[in-house]
Amino acid sequence: MIKNIYSFILKRYIVITPLLLVLIVAQREEYSQLTTSGTFGSAIRLAIPIMLAGLGGLFSEKTGVVNIGLEGMMIMGTWFGAWGGFTYGAWQGVFIGMLGGALFGLIHAIATVSFQVDHIVSGVAINILAAGVARFLNVISFEDVAYASSTASPRITGEIGKMTVPFLAGGPINDEETFNLFGSIENLDIFLISDFAGFILGFLSNISYLTIFALAIVPFSLIILWHTPIGLQMRSVGEYPTGSESLGVNVYLMKYIGVTISGALSGLAGAYLVVGGTGIYLEGQTGGRGFIGLASMLFGNYKPFGILMGSGLFGFADALQLRSPQAVHGLLIVISIFLFVLVLKTLFEKKYTQSLISLLFSGAFLIWFLNSTTIPNQFVYFTPHITTLIVLSFANQRIKLPEKIGVPYKKGELN
Amino acid sequence: MNIAINTNNISKSYPGVLANSNVSIQIDESSIHAIVGENGAGKSTLMKILYGMTKPDSGSIEIFNEIVTMSSPKDSITLGIGMVHQHFMLAKNLTVLENIILGIDRPSLKNLGLKKYKKAIEEVMSNYSLDIDLNMYVEDLSVGEKQRVEIIKVLFRGAKILILDEPTAVLVPQEVDELFNNLKNLRENGVTIIFISHKLDEVLEIADQISVMRSGQLIDSVRNMNVSKIELAEMMIGKSLPSPPPRSTEKKQNKIIELKNVSSNNVDGRQLFKNISFSLYGSEILGIAGVEGNGQKEVVESIIGIEKLESGEIFFNGEKINDKTTRERLDSGISFIPEDRQLQAMIMDMNLTNNVIIGRQNIKKYKSNFATVKTKNAVKESENIISLFDVKTPGTNTLATALSGGNQQKFVVGRELEDDPSLLIASQPTRGIDIGAQALIWEKLRESRDNGLGVLLISADLEELIGLSDRIVVFYQGSLVTELSSEEVSPEDLGGYMTGLKK
Repeated sequence: MIKNIYSFILKRYIVITPLLLVLIVAQREEYSQLTTSGTFGSAIRLAIPIMLAGLGGLFSEKTGVVNIGLEGMMIMGTWFGAWGGFTYGAWQGVFIGMLGGALFGLIHAIATVSFQVDHIVSGVAINILAAGVARFLNVISFEDVAYASSTASPRITGEIGKMTVPFLAGGPINDEETFNLFGSIENLDIFLISDFAGFILGFLSNISYLTIFALAIVPFSLIILWHTPIGLQMRSVGEYPTGSESLGVNVYLMKYIGVTISGALSGLAGAYLVVGGTGIYLEGQTGGRGFIGLASMLFGNYKPFGILMGSGLFGFADALQLRSPQAVHGLLIVISIFLFVLVLKTLFEKKYTQSLISLLFSGAFLIWFLNSTTIPNQFVYFTPHITTLIVLSFANQRIKLPEKIGVPYKKGELN
Repeated sequence: MNIAINTNNISKSYPGVLANSNVSIQIDESSIHAIVGENGAGKSTLMKILYGMTKPDSGSIEIFNEIVTMSSPKDSITLGIGMVHQHFMLAKNLTVLENIILGIDRPSLKNLGLKKYKKAIEEVMSNYSLDIDLNMYVEDLSVGEKQRVEIIKVLFRGAKILILDEPTAVLVPQEVDELFNNLKNLRENGVTIIFISHKLDEVLEIADQISVMRSGQLIDSVRNMNVSKIELAEMMIGKSLPSPPPRSTEKKQNKIIELKNVSSNNVDGRQLFKNISFSLYGSEILGIAGVEGNGQKEVVESIIGIEKLESGEIFFNGEKINDKTTRERLDSGISFIPEDRQLQAMIMDMNLTNNVIIGRQNIKKYKSNFATVKTKNAVKESENIISLFDVKTPGTNTLATALSGGNQQKFVVGRELEDDPSLLIASQPTRGIDIGAQALIWEKLRESRDNGLGVLLISADLEELIGLSDRIVVFYQGSLVTELSSEEVSPEDLGGYMTGLKK
């Protein structure tokens, strides 16, 4: 048992060490925003679109098709989500957004699987095409509608609805307030326990049904890909299509299914931005989240819960910069100490060059931390990206890429 | 004893090649039946037909006394025939269990049932005394274990007849022993095994019955106890060898290339060849014989500098070239016809003109003063090759991939000869091409030899080797075992040396 915990910690130190550090730093008054339920709540909302895009990437890449068109499919999700939401209502908007993304997923599948177009070329084409198509559709659909412009849609109608769990998070039953268990624990300000309560509260309090739906897709993806025959076949065609074909697997069909699901999930990610966020479609609204979704997929090493964690990290950093630039300053010392842990680890493994580089960066962050009280605003906006980048580049893990990813497969061709 | 497979007069021809001609073979149930033959003897074609991957042109197949027609491997699996390919059909990032059950269920959303399958597979494994950890990822398995997974995979699908395509080619000796133990166990449990190989020692060790194929024909099927290695070698190679046509010119006295005690290991430290010494003179063709994989390919690659030497010296026209790069060696007058024209000799998606230039972009003819290539000269050169070597193509602008194999090869040979080299290394120069192209290439090689060229010829085609060469050296397990004169060589000798019987 203890041995298991020990090996778990060793394996996951990349996640666990910074987490612990954040908890410790958050004990200081000026950095307390690091672990409040409010921060976690918005972290979840900000993480969901990235997580969905990452899961989309997972479904596509597991079947061997590189999908850098996630961003474009997400754009389609935003526009179709807004259009559906405006025309029919919120939930309808979500599903129409998914369909919009799935359509572009299908286009990517036709290009890469049936016509053997290079996956990167097709993905880039999808991204360019989607941006143009979204504006085109927006202009012709909302020409005479009030509050709409060429780059923005009118507000969607209807709402998704939110809930707060009774007793645990103080949600109401029949309009009567109930006891807020985790809320009161959070207010006690006990080290670790209160921070953890804040984390749980972020999931239980004031959470949109759409968020719950999106979070449910994580275990669902795991079950489909790893515990059903169709999932096994999908994964096998990304590994060794020739072998799969010889065992009676319909390679083309599996790739089509994977890439189309990928599009639908990216579409959902886009729709979430609109329906669960701004309420309107705005040009450029996705802001590269599709690409960050790909990064979270790599961070998560092609595993659904890994993707959840990777996108959570980005969402957390994003929430911090929105809510409390002051708390971002606390991250400097977290990064510095984390890098120092890496220094020790690489020294232990006798990788001296890596160790030296980590030490230099660790020192630099420490000096920055000590010689400042705040971070310039320009840097604050950049926090989520730099955090993701740092973790990705130092998370020196063995990523298990599908064997035949990006390789066009022709039926009957031996390779 | 029951008969598992019985074929009647199976024939199959590919353009220009008769791969199988009237093959009738009987394979007993619960026996290990080996099929031996040189490369290109038609073993693989026969196996593809039995596994349903290709259809025979004529003839019929009986499986367990019933006439069957197979149009795809799926049919053969339902008939109880399973094949273990030389290159394993396994997905690295899936577990052993997942690899075995892949494709059994229709692609649905129901539960995969890993536990149920695991139990069933473990039962099959204990029935046949095969052992493997089902939860391991295939990536982490050794080659021998991967092969075992393949065997379990086909057995689990109910195979009663197992085809193993050169199963020992990828294994180390201990793994071979283990495989043979497993195969004997399978035989005890009623499985019929077809074992394709060209290693006679192994065949004699494991097989109950041995069938020998040569140039598409079944020479004989014999019981293991009634045959000796030398008889097998003779059957494989044939009794009558062609005698080389007398030549009008004399070989010269200048040494074109000389190897002195060269040795090399591969990256894993396994020995590729050791202490090889031979010389080649002007106006001479030196043939290199050997069953594939005995070091001959690596030796010629070390001459042009692809393979690194561990020790020894190589002299080209009296000058030591050990430290020269491949580029310098080729520029100084060595030409090379690699054994795989589509992978090594040409770039298939480039046109003929560009294929003339690759590797020669530095020579004066093609290099202008402005670091550009003189395409005009290259066009002229390829037109020259096309007419001299009778390459059938619409023009110099045609992509290499659009040409037939024979025409590709003629173009490659032309390119290498038109360079005026003093040494030509020809590795399998006529493999897999039609008879017309073959005759032309032979003619051109003889002609160039008479003009003073030294040729190193590596070939699996013994007719070609004896017909062209002036002398033949034989390789066995990385060593040069003997040198023979092609006028006096007997098939017993050649076969004996090639299979390690004579030393």
